Amino acid sequence: MWSRELFCKAGKRILLPAPGEGAPVAAAQRLATRAAGEFSASGDEVGDRNADVFDRELKSKQRDRAAWFMHESDPILDTVTENLLDRLQDCKRMFPTALNLGGALDHVQRMLHGRGGIERLISMDTSVDMIGRSKRLAAMDGLTGEEAKRSALENMQIIADEEYLPFQAGSLDVVISSLGLHWVNDLPGAMSQCRTALKPDGLFLAAMFGGETLRELRIACTVAQLEREGGVSPRISPLAQVRDAGNLLTRAGFALPTVDVDEYTVRYPSAMELIEHLRSMGEVNAVRQRSLVMSRDTALATASIYQSMFGESDGTIPATFQVIYMAGWSPDISQKQPKRRGSATVSFKDLQTAFPPDAFSKTSDDPKSTSTTKSITELASESKERERTGQNESEETSGTTRLPSGSWFKLD
Amino acid sequence: MVRGGILVKHAAFNTSLLQYLACPLSKDPLRYCEKSQELVNDSLGVAYPIIDGIACLVPSRGRLIEKLPEDPKPYPDAGK
Repeated sequence: MWSRELFCKAGKRILLPAPGEGAPVAAAQRLATRAAGEFSASGDEVGDRNADVFDRELKSKQRDRAAWFMHESDPILDTVTENLLDRLQDCKRMFPTALNLGGALDHVQRMLHGRGGIERLISMDTSVDMIGRSKRLAAMDGLTGEEAKRSALENMQIIADEEYLPFQAGSLDVVISSLGLHWVNDLPGAMSQCRTALKPDGLFLAAMFGGETLRELRIACTVAQLEREGGVSPRISPLAQVRDAGNLLTRAGFALPTVDVDEYTVRYPSAMELIEHLRSMGEVNAVRQRSLVMSRDTALATASIYQSMFGESDGTIPATFQVIYMAGWSPDISQKQPKRRGSATVSFKDLQTAFPPDAFSKTSDDPKSTSTTKSITELASESKERERTGQNESEETSGTTRLPSGSWFKLD
Repeated sequence: MVRGGILVKHAAFNTSLLQYLACPLSKDPLRYCEKSQELVNDSLGVAYPIIDGIACLVPSRGRLIEKLPEDPKPYPDAGK
């Protein structure tokens, strides 16, 4: 099965025109880079077009193949999609127009059930066969009577690339991406384009695989390769870390970002079944820098190392899938904004009057404590004095708590 | 056209999508040309094909309309 990758690569070399020939493809790509350069110089987009980690054409071919292998219901994709779509019910807003970015396309379509008031679902993917599958699912929807009336969902499909989002500014209510963004080269740029395409106060919901995903496979592959080949080449694609997810959302310009993480452990009889499952989901390696050949020795060594290092007592092996759920809203004046600096209406003086310092024995002999009009600098110097004098005293008596500034207050 | 035993009619392009779609490069609105089954961006001079009623808005599939296409070359991933 590994030699299939070689055939695909060879086929690609024969069929594609060499760079410089073939007017439509090369010219369009030149146009793309020129327009991208102009577009990013306008200051709207914050993408990083130099990142070219993944081979997008290969990914689209892999997804074509996966479209035929994929089962109707897949445990991981179903769970993640269900979790993601659940978040739609947490919002009171209705989202009539939704964009479904690739990944678990048809799972989103099938499991939506009209949540979030979605009336029009536009499914988008680079792979032709995945879109064909989505279209067949829409045609096959044999709903009768009540159910058909309840879930009147208008399904539309387009073939497009997440990095070049073909939507007008302010045209979508919600963008849903269930496990689709971890193969995108320019993730900040893609998310920024999503934000532009969303209406004000539109929702961006995404689930993507996090850094801990397939940790066991990564370790087993590295150990096996070090033993057999003396070097390491990337077998697992680079994945976003949880700490980066929040930064991504803010960098793309989303307001009220939310990130949470879930880990799922799936058990397989052996490493081969894990690889087959990944292949059927279209999650095979598409990193440009990957080594194209994996020798049979290394593959078998990987499987046996996996079994010995991580095998459970009943002979099955676990695989971790860490999913990062991200949610962000496109900015709108109706959202809560942080107040401007210096616009406070409550001062520390009021805090002092609410919790008078002379109620505590420690500060009763402080001559300044009787005065109620103090500046913040005076308060700060007071607390420093108290810190110096109060070092030998106990930190907390019953009911009193020490504030970080050093001043004490008592909770009633 | 039959796929997997289910008859999928050769669907026409859903024109209600036009209010949402834009050129992937410049985000300009597109014009639907029914005769050549393409979505045209007049400002950049690029036309994107519509295959089986599904718009294919990938930049590498765009055709520059300054030059007339001499003969339709098969795209690399057309026959698999």
